[in-house]
Amino acid sequence: MEGVPPFGSPNIPTTAPEGGEVALIASGWRLAAREFFSNRLAVVGLGIIVFFILFSFVGPLIYHTNQSLTNPLLSDTAPSGSHLLGTDDNGFDEFGRLMVGGQTALEIGFFAAFMATVIGTLYGAVAGLVGGVVDAVLMRFVDVLLSIPLLFIVLILATRYHATVISQSLIIGLFSWQAPSRLVRGEVLTLRVRDFVTAARIMGGTQRRLILRHLIPNALSVVIVNITFLIADAILLIAYLGFLGFGLAYPTASWGDMIGNAQTAVSSGYWWLVYPVGACLVLVVMACNLVGDALRDAFDVRLRRR
Amino acid sequence: MTGYIVRRCVAAVIIAIGVAAVSYGLLNFAGGSPVYAALGTHANPKAVADWNRVHGFDKPLIVQIGNYVWNAVQLKFGYSYKQGQSVAALLDENAGRTAYLSGSALVLALIIALPLGIAQAVRRNSVGDYAATAIAFTLYSMPAFFLGLILIQFFALDLHIFPALVSSNVTSVWASFTHPAQLTLPIVTLAALTVAGFSRYMRSSALDALAQDYIRLARAKGLSERVVLARHLVRNACLPMITLVGLAIPGLLAGNIITETLYNYPGLGLLFYNALQNLDYPVLLAYTLIGGVLTVTGNLVADIAVAAADPRIRLG
Repeated sequence: MEGVPPFGSPNIPTTAPEGGEVALIASGWRLAAREFFSNRLAVVGLGIIVFFILFSFVGPLIYHTNQSLTNPLLSDTAPSGSHLLGTDDNGFDEFGRLMVGGQTALEIGFFAAFMATVIGTLYGAVAGLVGGVVDAVLMRFVDVLLSIPLLFIVLILATRYHATVISQSLIIGLFSWQAPSRLVRGEVLTLRVRDFVTAARIMGGTQRRLILRHLIPNALSVVIVNITFLIADAILLIAYLGFLGFGLAYPTASWGDMIGNAQTAVSSGYWWLVYPVGACLVLVVMACNLVGDALRDAFDVRLRRR
Repeated sequence: MTGYIVRRCVAAVIIAIGVAAVSYGLLNFAGGSPVYAALGTHANPKAVADWNRVHGFDKPLIVQIGNYVWNAVQLKFGYSYKQGQSVAALLDENAGRTAYLSGSALVLALIIALPLGIAQAVRRNSVGDYAATAIAFTLYSMPAFFLGLILIQFFALDLHIFPALVSSNVTSVWASFTHPAQLTLPIVTLAALTVAGFSRYMRSSALDALAQDYIRLARAKGLSERVVLARHLVRNACLPMITLVGLAIPGLLAGNIITETLYNYPGLGLLFYNALQNLDYPVLLAYTLIGGVLTVTGNLVADIAVAAADPRIRLG
């Protein structure tokens, strides 16, 4: 500990220096939060996500619609007072269906992203900490998985499983952890040589403790940023699955299935079956991307305004 | 440099073999051998066992993968019982059309994204910059088929300029080339999504380059702004794009499935889509493997190209 003056030495001012106010030293998290909320686009993005959560989960409690029994008499009716966005070919109220479809989109998006993050974080932490041959083998496996387009993997697995919220979340989650694992490994590689990790190890901390208590909490910011992109990608992916006919089984609704059926609606001129659901998809995905970009900037110390 | 290229090539081969193994494992897990396609869904167990033994599907998975890779290296991808053709012939028949679609989309995307990104960086924080960023961000968040549907609604159904579906007369690459109207919407759809990804990177790459000392020096020397931009900025700002083009391959492959399905354009993407519907496993396996190998190759070529093009990168 050479070079650090003893406590109370004249070099360390015990009172605030003269001339100008001194900014309160806040924790990294609070600084990041302040930075995040000063970004207007980020707040808009967060607002959109909150809106769609309320719309999908609280909305059906207020706007009651029949979403389980088909009604051929009501098929493809244009928007009106009783059906705000008209009805689809099964006679389901489109506005109510947007809410139900939003539930599955958000559930799958959040669940898949959560799972991918947990797997990727542990995988990356182990690879980075153990290093050597284990690291090389683990990361080559990540390279292999990254080389196969995710849509291919997900589609192939979708041919085998009956599509449910759980099965789709599992399929997407189990195959999209490559990005977080690489990020966490990179962080761990720089963190493991830092003094506090060495100190923890000298004090007899086990490998498990090092990973769970020291490395992962410090690598958390990159992981959190990545979650939002994972959610956006998962929602897009299930939309693609729905469009290609591997969406959730009837009568469960998903935005992807709804817009998948919209291909015929376009040629019939049923605009209400195409654009509202498309707009919902774009808005939610865009909101996730906006929040992710803002979080990345907020955690990036170099970009921080003083 | 030679050592670097050799090392990267060896790594790429290892990854490609891994891709083959994982694809085979996935397909095996999803459906297994094509025996039911060959013998019918109600084939009796004895016949199934015999068929599997004759065609090597009773061997341990690792041996099967080895055999598959060995055959794939010789461009033998098995036989599609659903379509009654060898997979290699099916791929060969469709590859040209997909290459034409993806290649045109990629070229178009670069023609738009490179100047756009540079213009945005030069006039940063202007109205035009914000507008371009907003459009790119929206496209980036948009499912390919939704953009496709909007284009169909507008250009095919409302204005009758381009057809909504590619005509079934377009059977060859030459026909695709000589009937540009047929393929305009598919190419634009695929290109727009690629531009959305590219222009963001191009803008930030050009911004980085603009802040460098050599740009300041070039201006201080009294060079005209045009020369500074054309000679000094463009070449340096485009370097990171080499990597990005390599990384764009998986996106294009996935985009092909969507675009070709939406516009009914007979290429590898539509072949894959039909194989999914028919559970035509040999075709799914072959295209997944080819997609993976293309991705690996793209990354490899991009890495080597960057190393060759950028004198600052010195590799032992």
